[in-house]
Formats: sequence, C-alpha cells, structure tokens
Amino acid sequence: MIDPRSMTEPVTPPYGGGGPLARLGAEIWDHLWPWSRDGFQRQRALQAAGLALALAATLVWVLAAMGTQLAPGAIIGWWFGWSVFEVAVRLGAKPYVKEGPWWGRRYRKASVMDMVCYVGFKNLLIGAALFLALKSFGLVQV
Amino acid sequence: MNLLSALRGAVSSLFLAAALAAAPTPALAQSAYEAALPPELGTSPALCDYVPCAEVLPGATSFSERKGRPPYVEAYAEENGQRKLVGYVMLSTDITDTPAYSGKPVVTLIGMNTEGRFVGVKILKHSEPILLLGIPESALVAFNNQYLGKFVGDNIEIGRSRPDEGIIGLDAISGATVTVIAQNQVMMTSGAAVGRQVGILEPTVRPQARFVDGGRTLDWAALVAEGAVRNLKVMPEQVGLQRSTTPFIDLWFGYLNHPEIGRSILGEAGWRALMARLAEGEHALFVIRTGGNESFKGSGFVRGGIYDRVQIRQGQDAFTFRDLDYLNLYGVNAAGAPAFNESAIFIVRSPAFSGAFPWKFIFLGNRVDRETGARTFVNFDTEYWLADRHLEGGRPEVIKPDAPWVKVWKSRALEIGLFAALLVAVAVVYANRDALTRRSTRKNKWPVNAFKYSFWVISIGFVGFGLLAQPSITQVLTWFHSLLFHWQWELFLTDPFIFLFWIFIILTTFVWGRGLFCGWMCPFGSLSELIYKVAGAIGLKRFQFALPMKWHNRLKWIKYFVFFALLAVSVFSMGLAEMLAEVEPFKTTFLVGMFNRAWPYTLFVAVLLGLSIFIERPFCKYLCPLGASLAMPSTFRWFGLKRKQECNSCKACAVGCGSLAIDEHGRIDHRECMHCLDCMILYTDEHACPPLAQERKRRTKAGLPLTPIGQDGYYIPIKPVPAAKA
Repeated sequence: MIDPRSMTEPVTPPYGGGGPLARLGAEIWDHLWPWSRDGFQRQRALQAAGLALALAATLVWVLAAMGTQLAPGAIIGWWFGWSVFEVAVRLGAKPYVKEGPWWGRRYRKASVMDMVCYVGFKNLLIGAALFLALKSFGLVQV
Repeated sequence: MNLLSALRGAVSSLFLAAALAAAPTPALAQSAYEAALPPELGTSPALCDYVPCAEVLPGATSFSERKGRPPYVEAYAEENGQRKLVGYVMLSTDITDTPAYSGKPVVTLIGMNTEGRFVGVKILKHSEPILLLGIPESALVAFNNQYLGKFVGDNIEIGRSRPDEGIIGLDAISGATVTVIAQNQVMMTSGAAVGRQVGILEPTVRPQARFVDGGRTLDWAALVAEGAVRNLKVMPEQVGLQRSTTPFIDLWFGYLNHPEIGRSILGEAGWRALMARLAEGEHALFVIRTGGNESFKGSGFVRGGIYDRVQIRQGQDAFTFRDLDYLNLYGVNAAGAPAFNESAIFIVRSPAFSGAFPWKFIFLGNRVDRETGARTFVNFDTEYWLADRHLEGGRPEVIKPDAPWVKVWKSRALEIGLFAALLVAVAVVYANRDALTRRSTRKNKWPVNAFKYSFWVISIGFVGFGLLAQPSITQVLTWFHSLLFHWQWELFLTDPFIFLFWIFIILTTFVWGRGLFCGWMCPFGSLSELIYKVAGAIGLKRFQFALPMKWHNRLKWIKYFVFFALLAVSVFSMGLAEMLAEVEPFKTTFLVGMFNRAWPYTLFVAVLLGLSIFIERPFCKYLCPLGASLAMPSTFRWFGLKRKQECNSCKACAVGCGSLAIDEHGRIDHRECMHCLDCMILYTDEHACPPLAQERKRRTKAGLPLTPIGQDGYYIPIKPVPAAKA
C-alpha cells in the first residue's frame, strides 16, 4: 500500500539503525562517496566509464594542485559532467534521499528528479567551496 | 584556455546573433553595450583623437593632450582668431573605476565648462545587461542629460530634491537603481577631481595637527604596530598580469612631520634638517619599495614633470608631487626596517592637507586586458591616520560620507522597515497555519484566505509596483557568477528590498519549501492567481479549467529546462542569459511597465495574464525558471504538509488542488505545491475530510464524544480508563 505521507516509498539505508553520531558520520560519507558494493556489481559498464571519468577528474585536480592554471569553463564543465555521472551512479548504488529536516532519520526512495536536485545542490556547495579554495590559493584565475 | 575562450566567444556570438535577429528593435547597432573601444584610449596623450570630445563640449574646436592627475583635456574654441579655453573633457575611467551593476564601469565622456557646469555626457561603453533589452539605453542617456547645466560642486543625489538640505535630486531609472547610483558617483567624482585641479572647486581648509611628542624613538615593528608606517602591496593579478607570489609592487610609507615618527625614520639630525626645509603648512612623507620591480617614481619621469604613479588624497582633495617636491631618502634609521631598493621623501605643499585627518596613499596603475591588450586605469590605496596618542586631544571627529548602499538604506529606511515587517508577518502567519486551517472549513476558508489575499494585494501593489522588488532568475545567475568570480556585498546591498527578499526566500524555502514565496509573496504569481480568482468570482468560473494531470506532468518540466538553459548560457555570456531571461514577464510588468516596452514584450505579458483568467498560474506552473530554481531545494524542505494514510484512496484534496501538486496516490509534490493550504483545511475539517466525517458519524451514532483532532489529523482516540477503586 502506498504511503501518501512520503513522496516515494520509505527506505532505510544500511546505517539507518545506528546511533546519532554513527548516523551522522555515515551520512557525511554518503554525501562524499556515491558508490556502494551492490551498485558496483550491478552497474559495471557505468562504473568503468566512471573510473575513467574519475581518473580524468583526478588528473585535472592534481594538475591544478601542481600549479597549472585552469580555465573556469573547464572547471564548470567538469563539475557538470561529474554531477550527471554521480546522479547515474547514485540511482544504482545509493538510491535514496532524506525526507524532512537534516537532523531527522526519514529516508525515501529517490526518483530521478530527487537525485538531480540532491546531487545538483550538494555539488554546487562542494564545487563552490573547492573553486573558492583554488582561487584563494591562486590556482585558478578569473 | 584560448580554445575555450574561442569556443565561448563563438557560442556567445551565435546566440547573440540569433537573439539580435529576433529582436524587435533595430537600433542595437549603435548601442554602447560592450562597445569596442580603441586600446589606446586609456593611455594615449591625445584622448580626443579616439573619442568624440566635441560632442560633450559644444563649440570646442580643438583639444589639448591629457594633462593633470587624474588626467583631463582642455577644450578650446576659436574666438576672434584666438584660442580660448571653454572647458574640460574627462574620461571617467581615467578618474574612477566605480563599477556599475555588471561589476564593470560605465565608460563615460564628460564635458564641463570653465564655470564648472556639465555641458555634455556621452556613454562610450557599458556592460549593463538591463540596458540591453530590458530598459532602453536612451533611459541612461536621459538620466545623464539631467546633469547638463548643473554645477560640479552641487550636492546631487538620486531621489527627490531637498532644498532645505541643499540636495538636488535626480530622477532614477526604474529597475536600474544600482546603475544610476554608480553613474552619479562617476559623474560627481570625475567632475570634482578635475574641478579641484583647475581651481573651480576650492580645496577644503582643515585645521593643522598638533602633535604629542613623548620623545620616543621607535623601531620598525613599533611603528607598524602603531600605524605610523603602513603598507601598500599590489599583486600582479590585480593589474591583469600573470599571477605570481612576487608582488607587482610592495611599498611602505609614513608621515614624517610627527616628531616621534620623523626621528625614528630619519634620525634626530635628519629629521631636524628636513623640518628646517619645510615651510609653514608643508608636510613630508617617506616611501620605500621593499618588493616588486615596478618603480613608484615612474620610469618615464622627466625633470619638471609630475610623479604620475603616486599621489595622496584627503577627502576630495588630491595632492600630486612635482620634481621640486621630491627629496632623496638614503636610509631608514628605525631598527628592523626592511631592505628596500627604491625610496623617496615627498613634500605636500598645500595648506589643505592636515596630518590630523585621515588620508590615503595611492598607487596609480593600469590594468591590462590580456585578451585585447587594452589598459584601463585602476588605483590602489591604503589609508593612513595618525593614532590618538600622536595627536593632542586625540583624533578629530571625522564624518565620512556614507557608501552608496548605505545612502540607499538610510533614504528608504521607512519602506525597508515596512517591507521587513511584511516578510516577518508572512512567516509568522504561515508558521501558525495549523491554527488558521483548523478555524477554516471547506465552505469557509477566510481565516486562511484573509491573510493570503491581503498578502497578495500588498505584494502586487506595494512590493511589485511600489518597491519594484520582484525577484528574478537573473539575480540567481548573478549570485552564481558572483560566488565563483567576484563576490561584492555592495552589489547586493544596493537594492535593499531584493536583498531582504532573498534572505526571506532562502530561509523559507529550506524550512517550508518554495510555496510560501511563490504562492503568497511573488508579485507576479500573486497577480496571476488574483486574476484567476477575480475572474472566477465574476462569473467566468465555467470557462476555467486545469490541464489533465497527464499533460501537466509533462509540461511542468519545461520550467526546469528553461532554468538549466539559462544557467548554461550564463556560463558563456551573462549578457545573453539576461536577454533570454525575458522569458520572465517581471521586468515588463513591474520594472519597466507594460506600455513602456516594445509590443512583443507587452503581448507576451498580456497572453500570460490573459491565460491566467482561465488557468491557475500558467506561468508559475510551466515556465518560471525562478520557480524551478527554488523547487529543486524544496525537495529537501524541513517541514512539509500533512497527509493521512487514507489520502491514497481519497481524492477530496487532489480534486481541489489548484497547483495540481497531489498525485493519484494522494502524495504532495512539494516542488510544485504553492501552499494554498486548501488540503490542510480539509485535513482537519470533520465534515469534508472523508475519514474524519466517517469517524464523526460513527461516534455521533454511538453517542461517543467528539474529541479534538490531533496533529495526525484524526480525533484523539478515546481510551477508557478503569474506574478508580472506591
């Protein structure tokens, strides 16, 4: 029976039963690491493409860390490409989003739009923080 | 990087060409928007070879080369075979780099006659997107024409005139407040800078400082700690050069007239010798270069000339140095002083300068555009003010002029207060929605609607048409770009209503979702739904309809597409994104006025508002990119609307949902919900909510009491309590 109190069916993530601190740690890990073992088994082709993308992205960031100037357009392009990839990975590996306030413990199955909203917003914050950090260290010039 | 730039340029050009081809106004060819200016404009002595100086100084037939600091040009007319000085022409970017709304300056050529009255103004180049299509460029020309005939020393401000305070008001351009405030600053700063140099404006007379001499001789660290010696560092990237850890120039400077500072820097004998050379009202300061390869004296300095890379400014008065104002500085006495490779002592020979008041040491530079090679004037400064302990009676009271944004906040304090109170009131009312919905029923929704409709009317009249505070997707794009490229608080603070509105929008979207702004406070959304309600009330209800859910669920994605398209285009060209943001009818409706724009814009608004008679909020549901941008974070709002398990089979709320936000399973899509609260009224209406009505009937039939309705939307259960033993 569909529960109208939740936009999609409620889901309990693997760490759902833990204490508050363990859950907070697991959620932070979840925000930063889109993969899961189950998802990896099911999305092999996608993961292969992902690894290639991750290697390319890592190379770019390493180049940036070594002092190579990066164009803002390239960074935004990477950010966008990575976000699209992350949406696909998460829908297979961690297909849930939080419902209600961040301190709550209600989760639900993510629709594609839910995941786009989640990844887009999260990566905007992470991307802006990285971009500002690179800018302040003089590794990107605008 | 070049490939990317080229690609970006090509895409921008393509979009721009397509947009211009479709644009209804043919006059864009003459627009000053991002006009290409000759690279020599910023540096060539013959300014008037490159710009039409005669246009801003009618009657002038010849012009001098650039002279003075900051530079200006003398304009001459032929009179009885003789050359006669008739005025001055100045290029605004020679004098100030005040940015306008785009973050770039409006390059303006200004003409002023010998009496100090403005006689001509010409915009050479601007980057203001709103003047590209939103507001005709002629509005800025008309704004500038208000300066003609006005004296450079007048107290001219944007807003109404206040003769009792000696303030002359200028009419602003609706929807381009930031641009005109910046332009006013450009006009007055430029005029005053030249007016003071040529003697039209008298320098300010300041009382001279009386120093406290405690007989101390300070080391370098103590001098720095007391602010007696200050630093001005310019990095290469600030002048458009390749970023480097080596500064472009690193200068230290200080005021030598003060005995403790002078003795510490020059030694007792050196300082006394220097003071002996100074006449009454003359001042000395030292400058040393401790880093960088750039000379602060200038490599092209010639005897008899002016040191054109440094000057000092006190209030509106600028002081430059000639060769006679220069003395050698061979060493710095203070222990711990850094090594230096260039040094000077400069003499200020003007009674207008006073060591008691704050002043700025200015390094005058040029910023190089690496793509075009064009140079633009830019200056870097550090403030200097002797500490309290150095002055008898401490520092004098100095009233610094307010920053432009502070002036706006002060001049509109009442409206800002009212607007802030309105936003708080909306939030408080919505926070108490449970109390309001419980007082309402399906047949009487006035406890909720009285507030909602009042806020709509206020939003349309006061916020929209009155304050012109209609939030827009262009602000989201501007913020996005500012966050990445160059964040300027001043840019956002200059429009206090939009600033406050966004604080409200961000907070309420995270707490409740976008519906509170979109459904209760958006001026255009309110206008759209009010039209729908009024149309229904006057007998057009039978013509009103909602799209089938099947079509609604397809069409609602358009607004997300529009949003992402604008975001993507903005990466290539912010100006083009602003043009395409005309998909929002806000500018036409509130900022410029429906009848002040070309007919396609008016027709577009008319169609949207006309559709609103028959369909509830068609623009909000299907087109609004701002709504889409707010809908996405609404996915993670903290507090949503309530549902019961029975809602999955009952369609009572879904049928009445004007936003079409309730699906066939009774679930509310908070991305689409406008928070009309109709479903929340039903939620506790014991006659309209089927599960409640059923329970009410059962209890009534069984003679059981009707307990209050709990937070879960059900009657509080009756739990028989065993009778207490006697």
